[in-house]
Amino acid sequence: MRSRAATSAAPFATTVRIPFAATARSLPFLYAAVTIVLIWQFVVILTKPDPSVLPQPITVAWTLGHLLRDGELGLDTAYSLGRVISAWLLSAIVAIPLGLLMGSSRRLERLINPFVELLRPISPLAWIPLAILWFGIGESGKIFVVFIGTFFPMLLSTIAGVKGIDPILLHAGQVFGCTTRVALFLRVMVPASMPSIVVGLRVAFGTGWAAIIAAELVAAHTGLGYLIANGMDILRADEVLAGMIAIGVLGFLFDTFFRYLQGRYARNAG
Amino acid sequence: MMTATNTGKPLRIAGLTKTYETRSGETVEALGPVSVDVEAGEFLVIVGPTGCGKSTLLQVLAGFLKPTAGAALVGGQPITGPSVDRSMVFQSYALFPWLSVLENVEFGLARKEIPPRRRRELALHHLRLVGLHDFANKSIDELSGGMKQRVAIARAFAVEPSIMLMDEPFGALDALTRRFLQRELLRIWQEQRRTVVFITHSVIEAIFLADRILVMSSRPGRIKAEWRVDAPRPRDVTSEELRGLEREIYALLDEELAKSFDIELSAGASAGE
Ligand SMILES: Nc1ncnc2c1ncn2[C@@H]1O[C@H](COP(=O)(O)OP(=O)(O)OP(=O)(O)O)[C@@H](O)[C@H]1O
Ligand SMILES: [Mg+2]
Repeated sequence: MRSRAATSAAPFATTVRIPFAATARSLPFLYAAVTIVLIWQFVVILTKPDPSVLPQPITVAWTLGHLLRDGELGLDTAYSLGRVISAWLLSAIVAIPLGLLMGSSRRLERLINPFVELLRPISPLAWIPLAILWFGIGESGKIFVVFIGTFFPMLLSTIAGVKGIDPILLHAGQVFGCTTRVALFLRVMVPASMPSIVVGLRVAFGTGWAAIIAAELVAAHTGLGYLIANGMDILRADEVLAGMIAIGVLGFLFDTFFRYLQGRYARNAG
Repeated sequence: MMTATNTGKPLRIAGLTKTYETRSGETVEALGPVSVDVEAGEFLVIVGPTGCGKSTLLQVLAGFLKPTAGAALVGGQPITGPSVDRSMVFQSYALFPWLSVLENVEFGLARKEIPPRRRRELALHHLRLVGLHDFANKSIDELSGGMKQRVAIARAFAVEPSIMLMDEPFGALDALTRRFLQRELLRIWQEQRRTVVFITHSVIEAIFLADRILVMSSRPGRIKAEWRVDAPRPRDVTSEELRGLEREIYALLDEELAKSFDIELSAGASAGE
């Protein structure tokens, strides 16, 4: 009797609970979005600004729909995303191995850390003029800027990951046969610092996304940054705002995706 | 009691001392000199007041630390560094969280270059010994503390070491789980007869497990007294005889503990001047 009641209740519970949990999680964001739109609308009603300065929310929604339909938004997103991903990958290829080495060798850290500490405070945006001088407004300059923006979060996170390894795990690695430094490095240090590396990848994607928009504002003919810069040039605040919304929503989605990966990884990694 | 073949090696500890150098340049005499001969297949348990150097001793035996003086030899060979031949169970489990239960047990076997087929067999066999055969593909964080320590025990025995080093392996577990794992450990040990050096704070645990119990003095730890426990296993630690042994050991430990607190107090006083 009891078991039958349990089995008949189970499918109901699972089909109902999962969408409910997803809705519950997105509720705070929905609340924030609705509030922003309401305040915006309110300001428009009260101050009656020139639409080329601050259009109505509905106008922006209209423009956004238009940009989506004629494929312009999709194309610019693809450009921006392509740049971020290539620079982010390039950065990962350099920063993660370097971070692993710096985290495990005090001598190497002492050698390289001063450079990191000197260069890190220079915002990736401050590199944009130099990038234009060096590379012109082609792809390499923008990738260079995003590389700078993604490099330090990844490097620091990787170093912290290695340094945060419980020494007892290193002992266990040695006891169970990692007799050389290389074996211990590959078999224990690298996997043990993986959760922290994933955090670095996520944070870096965020800073990279911010950096590419900035780089495209000043040095591009494509990309979401160019889209909003162009909107400014032709006095179309609705296009600027539509572009900004796209940037925000995409950034939020990427971060949510990385958080999901991180959660999965953490579950596998304990 | 069983017709087990003896797979352990003898361990000789001769005049071993360890002095730590702290960053500020001070020296801490942590251990010794200690001299002990452990027979092949013997279950040796060490008890002693906190801070007397028990973990230090085990770290020297594991090969993580170089002794300041003296030597430790396994089967006549001096210990020069960590080796799969001297396996270890840690108090905090020290399992690899990125590997499954089975992969954790296979880890040491892979480093010994045992072929994958045989590796799997050995790992599953040892998981069966600790009753976690059905959990082979689970991830570590799905296990309770007691289950984790059983995986750690399986991992340590699977590499077929000559010596098993255990530093308070059950210290973080509740009393019931502890009792259960003590029995499991004895069962595996009786089957395989590896040499065991086991550290504990629990006198009852020592009496339940040991062939021989060593009591260490306060820091720097030396061997203060030793008892051979001949009562047949499984032991009833509430028997009159073993109760008497417990009282004797506690009397000695109380004495040493009082001394170690005196040391701490006088050191604090002189630092304050
Ligand atoms: N790396 C170190 N540097 C300096 N002193 C140390 C170091 N490790 C341990 N000591 C000191 O050596 C002494 C012995 O430490 P050890 O950890 O071996 O004690 P223990 O007997 O295992 O104690 P417990 O029962 O609390 O685990 C202690 O006084 C401790 O403070
Ligand atoms: Mg200890």
